[in-house]
Amino acid sequence: MAIEVLLPKLGLTMEEGTVDEWLVNDGDLIAVGTPLLRLATDKIDVDVEAESEGILAKAVPNGTTLAPGSVLGWLLAPGEAAPGGAVAPAAAPTAPAAHLGRQLVSPNARRVAQELGIDIAALRGTGPGGRVVSEDVEESALAQPTKVTSPLARRDAQLAGIDVNGLPTDTGYVTRKDVREAISGQGSGTPASTAPISPAPAVIPPGQESSSIIPLKGMRGTIAARMVQSLTEMAQLTHGYEVCTDSVVELRGTLKEQYRDFGLQVPSLNDFVVRAAALALRKHPILNATIVDREIHLLRRIHMGMAVAVPGGLMVPVIRDADTLSIFELARATRDLAESCRSGSISLDALEGGSFAVTSLGTYGVDFFTPVINPGNVGILGVGRLRDSGRWDDDRFVKTQVLTLSLTFDHRAVDGAPAAEFLQTIAELLARPLVLLPGA
Amino acid sequence: MNTRELTYVKAFNEGMHQIMAEDPDVFLIGEDVAGYGGVFHMFDGLLTAYGDKRVKDTPIAEQAIIGLGVGAAARGLRPVCDLMFMDFIGVAMDQIFNQAAKMKYMFGGAVSVPLTITTAGGAGMSAAAQHSQSLEAWLAHIPGLKVAMPASPYDAKGLIVGAIRDDNPVIVVLNKKMLGVKGPVPEELYAIPLGVANVVREGDDVTIVAIGRMVIEATKAAASLGELGISAEVIDPRTVQPLDIGTIVTSAKKTNRVLIVHEAVEFGGIGAEISSQVQESAFDYLDAPVTRLAAPFAPVPYAPILESAYVPDAARITAAARKLVERS
Amino acid sequence: MTETPAPSVTYGPPEGYAAGATRDLVVDLHRRMVRIRMFEESAGKLVESGDMPGFLHLYVGQEAVAAGVMSVLDDVDQITSTHRGHGHAIAKGAEFRPMFAELYGKTTGYCKGRGGSMHIVDMSRGMLGANAIVGGGIPIAIGAAFAAQYRGDGSVAASFFGDGATNIGAFHESVNMAAVWDLPVLFVCENNGYAEFTAQGNHMRLDDIAERANSYGIPGVVVDGMDALAVRAVAKIAVDRAKRGEGPTLIEAKTYRYFDHQGIKGMRIPYRDPAEVEAWKARDAIRLLEVIGVERGLATPEDFAATWAQTEAEIADAIEFARSSPDPDPADILDDVYTV
Repeated sequence: MAIEVLLPKLGLTMEEGTVDEWLVNDGDLIAVGTPLLRLATDKIDVDVEAESEGILAKAVPNGTTLAPGSVLGWLLAPGEAAPGGAVAPAAAPTAPAAHLGRQLVSPNARRVAQELGIDIAALRGTGPGGRVVSEDVEESALAQPTKVTSPLARRDAQLAGIDVNGLPTDTGYVTRKDVREAISGQGSGTPASTAPISPAPAVIPPGQESSSIIPLKGMRGTIAARMVQSLTEMAQLTHGYEVCTDSVVELRGTLKEQYRDFGLQVPSLNDFVVRAAALALRKHPILNATIVDREIHLLRRIHMGMAVAVPGGLMVPVIRDADTLSIFELARATRDLAESCRSGSISLDALEGGSFAVTSLGTYGVDFFTPVINPGNVGILGVGRLRDSGRWDDDRFVKTQVLTLSLTFDHRAVDGAPAAEFLQTIAELLARPLVLLPGA
Repeated sequence: MNTRELTYVKAFNEGMHQIMAEDPDVFLIGEDVAGYGGVFHMFDGLLTAYGDKRVKDTPIAEQAIIGLGVGAAARGLRPVCDLMFMDFIGVAMDQIFNQAAKMKYMFGGAVSVPLTITTAGGAGMSAAAQHSQSLEAWLAHIPGLKVAMPASPYDAKGLIVGAIRDDNPVIVVLNKKMLGVKGPVPEELYAIPLGVANVVREGDDVTIVAIGRMVIEATKAAASLGELGISAEVIDPRTVQPLDIGTIVTSAKKTNRVLIVHEAVEFGGIGAEISSQVQESAFDYLDAPVTRLAAPFAPVPYAPILESAYVPDAARITAAARKLVERS
Repeated sequence: MTETPAPSVTYGPPEGYAAGATRDLVVDLHRRMVRIRMFEESAGKLVESGDMPGFLHLYVGQEAVAAGVMSVLDDVDQITSTHRGHGHAIAKGAEFRPMFAELYGKTTGYCKGRGGSMHIVDMSRGMLGANAIVGGGIPIAIGAAFAAQYRGDGSVAASFFGDGATNIGAFHESVNMAAVWDLPVLFVCENNGYAEFTAQGNHMRLDDIAERANSYGIPGVVVDGMDALAVRAVAKIAVDRAKRGEGPTLIEAKTYRYFDHQGIKGMRIPYRDPAEVEAWKARDAIRLLEVIGVERGLATPEDFAATWAQTEAEIADAIEFARSSPDPDPADILDDVYTV
């Protein structure tokens, strides 16, 4: 009985996915758990594993984009015919081990990918045995769908500044001849950029040349599109607000001392700020809102997005019902999500549904900045550097520690004064950190 | 500098004439090198030009030929000892690897051995298992020896002069099948320093390191590859000891793919050494495993059909290089 | 014994070979032999006590051969030696300090600590190097002889080797080539009766190795290797012949080593009859020369005693020098592999 391999629905809002690369061959004997293919969505890439065993018959080639639930192939018993017509070999062949579960990448490709900030996992290998070679990385960096070319044609085209993918060819294989013809016919216009995030045709300034090229695609493309969308659709402005953190610092000191022998994790300063923000949102629901069709919808649940830097970009995983969590639960959730993002094991669901967000540049030494609101939210809180300051205590000047909060809000929904009040609330909560410890 | 076309063996012979004219400490001994001029005519005319004190036929006694050279070299002369076929080197091996190679080191630098051993290696003439071998890896493995393998008429002259002027024992391995190959050779006396590779042809897509006659085959292959749009860089190390690994690694970092070709057997050959050093120095620049194309692990066979299957050629080099750069 | 020796082989030096001996000569030969013996016995003890590294092939018993031959050679004349080479080096004029330093593996050694016991070299004395390959030095010696002939500088070469080495191809190839080209070289076979642990009767059919000269058309001569004056006499004839351009001579000096193939502790296996060892020791070369010297009034017991005492002092000085010399630096391990 043929078992269908379906395109999985990875998140509530997922509408389609693309078979980026089959990781196994037609006719391979597949064991349960074998990674079958790499699936790309607009947010993340995941490996789809076999849930049953059998001989693979593919229904679609690499690059196919389909809705969740679509049939991508079948796992057959020996000799069984696939519904699509293919017949599994009577004797199960042994699959080449190199294809099973491991992406083949040349050392040079890894090096170039690191230099260019390219995510290798998203690349299809074109080298022997499907190995990702440096050309795959470089072509990916050029943000161009690969057209089959000879190496010399590629170089000629590069030298002449011609996009090989824009070249007509009657063989389907771009040769030097095609490039030569393109060069001789040049002047009638080069192919225009189609990237929506770069509305005006930009050029590299005269006398300059690119040392490396990072394509605005994948995660980078998503970030670019969302940030442009955010800044063009909203009326954003930012308040800077200095808060005293002495109480939090002192409490953390106490916790550190008392937890030391028990190996317990002390929540970070950032955790306290997130916790305070979550509670403050309860008091200031206007900042926990979304604008839909000329209506501001205040949202019941507080799902806190937190920005996590990952190689080549950033992700905003979401802590659901953040206001109900104790500071310890919050700290653990934060750590787990950040780890999942960095390891690439984050699920699509975990990246969706944030109602507000916190982002921190404190560890990078930034005091004040202007965070950009995630589309769909009306505010985002930036956390700055913890720094020494001072204040007068009666006649005595005492040392104190402060940080600056940067609250960007959508003026369409939130006015300046309510935004400032939200910040005041956070400051008050941070001055009484014991309040922040319990959940619910 | 006046340059004209000479054959490989004539270029070598001219180098011998000119260095013997220049340096009275240079003498030549070997089997049939004087009256007969060497079985490959490498030494034509030397007896007439320099007399029987400096150009001497020996008994068939390879140990004594090399040992005499070692002793004379230790005494400051610059002997050229010919071993005719590279296969005969085994007979003289004690004098080469225990004596010549080690004297400088084990005597704490007190003795230099400016000895040159000439011989002819390589297959392709149905000379079979004891007259066709390429044993350069065997020699290159011994600290103290230098091994030169000229792959053009220009190098045949320049390397024999460079070897004779070198203050160490050097084995110059001519290739029998290249004797009649022609190429441009300057008239003047010149020396090629030992340990400097020759980038025979520049390219960007794949590096082909070829040794001895394989340089010619690799150059042919590079032309075929060019027609396929693959730009191959061909490197001739010229000497396998010292090995100019720097030039090879630089090329590997540029092309990201390396193919090594020699007619010695693949197992434990120079290709293995080059491959290992390339991956040690340029691992992060490789897009494909460093690949060798060499003789199978068998003695050189006699029948032409077997021998041509044994020795790599341009077609197989082309195929191997294509496989390295292949993309789906 | 062969009853009818081949015509070209002669036995012993000519009559009256010792007649012209002077006090200086006797004292010189004695001094060379005493230096060898004391060096070897000291070195043997130092290795066996663990103070010195390596292992030694000691020359004790064979001193007359080195002393006799070297006494007719000058510094410009070249020799090649064997794994049992200390005696040749000392007789040729090598100094104790760099010899001990080399045995101790020090930078002040003849080979900067690179060679050790089996590779003592002293180019300034014409000592082209000891050689750890049996027969390995013989072809090199004909090279040195070739260089002498090529330059016409009047020097000669001598190659020392044992009875075992005359079974090696290098010996035959070299003697033949030297013969063909009339090279000025002495082939000095020190026949101590054993190729390592194998008695001569088990490794060749000949009693007199000098007979092998017949095969190459050169003179062969058998001489008592315990008699330094006799060895000197036949060596002088061979050197003169070589300098006249008449080619090589094969000298077989019948001698004996008192110690084992290696070390001083004696015999690991009873491959030699103790009576045989004692019989040879009764004809000890140094003792023999002392007796001859005194009997003929050429030297006094005081002359000989002075040499022993002076040598002992030199040995002590050289050992102290070697011990206190600097070790080689491992950072220099690649020096002198070859010049670039």
